[in-house]
Amino acid sequence: MSGDDCDALDRGDSDGQKSDKMFTLKKWNAVAMWSWDVECDTCAICRVQVMDACLRCQGESKKDSYGKQDCVVVWGECNHSFHFCCMSLWVKQNNRCPLCQQEWSIQRMGK
Amino acid sequence: MITLNRKFKKDVNERPNGTTVESVKRISVRDKLLVKEVQEMNENLPTTCSVHFEDPDVLSEFILTVCPDEGYWTGGKFKFSVFVTEDYNMEPPKVKCLTRLWHPNINVDGDICLSLLRQTAIDEHGWAPTRRLKDVVWGLNSLFTDLLNFEDPLNIEAAEMYKKNKTEFQTKVQEYIAVTKGKR
Repeated sequence: MSGDDCDALDRGDSDGQKSDKMFTLKKWNAVAMWSWDVECDTCAICRVQVMDACLRCQGESKKDSYGKQDCVVVWGECNHSFHFCCMSLWVKQNNRCPLCQQEWSIQRMGK
Repeated sequence: MITLNRKFKKDVNERPNGTTVESVKRISVRDKLLVKEVQEMNENLPTTCSVHFEDPDVLSEFILTVCPDEGYWTGGKFKFSVFVTEDYNMEPPKVKCLTRLWHPNINVDGDICLSLLRQTAIDEHGWAPTRRLKDVVWGLNSLFTDLLNFEDPLNIEAAEMYKKNKTEFQTKVQEYIAVTKGKR
């Protein structure tokens, strides 16, 4: 498309050259993508998204005051994230990250 | 596939009638994992392996048959019973070898020495909840090839025989295979 064609489109209806135009832009939709700010978004223990309630909590359907399931995420020093419920069961057996085998220590918790 | 889905739905429906909340909750987590993992296992089964569920509604117990197509145990047919405990996947499945065989890592009682089936391990080879049923099948199948280990034997006699005389070892392996074939 040449520069002149673009100008014709930009001027739109105002210059009264409607009949010359092939098409006019009537509507456009913007699409945005997002993802959780974590290295891996699926809990490797129960294979449910870390931002959703874990498999155990889904079964029990525990709810917090906002009516959402109260199942928090835990990040280790190794930057791997899991459901706190899943990880606390595993560290009882072996205090290592199941993904990288590093000694498990909590970096932060929450959502 | 249809059976698995039906099984999953049945579990959900049966939940309110369960005996105790604790046991029902645990069974359901294991079974939810199994619905996905059994399907995944079936889709990724090595050509030397086959699985059989005695009761199609019980995904936690099955028989794995390995027919190695290379190595010392070629021509043999080895059956393993796999039992997935209620604490899966915090605990590895319990596996026994049902076929008597001459192998450095499986003793004549059917106990198996395979690192990924070990509950407590300090290295990356032991059990971890990130492992799945397909990994267990892969491990058992590889005991006849890549994971065969004469250096850390469970059946010490078998490992020593191999080190002294490989031909004698090979003969004994095939003798055991011949005996199990005769029984069938």
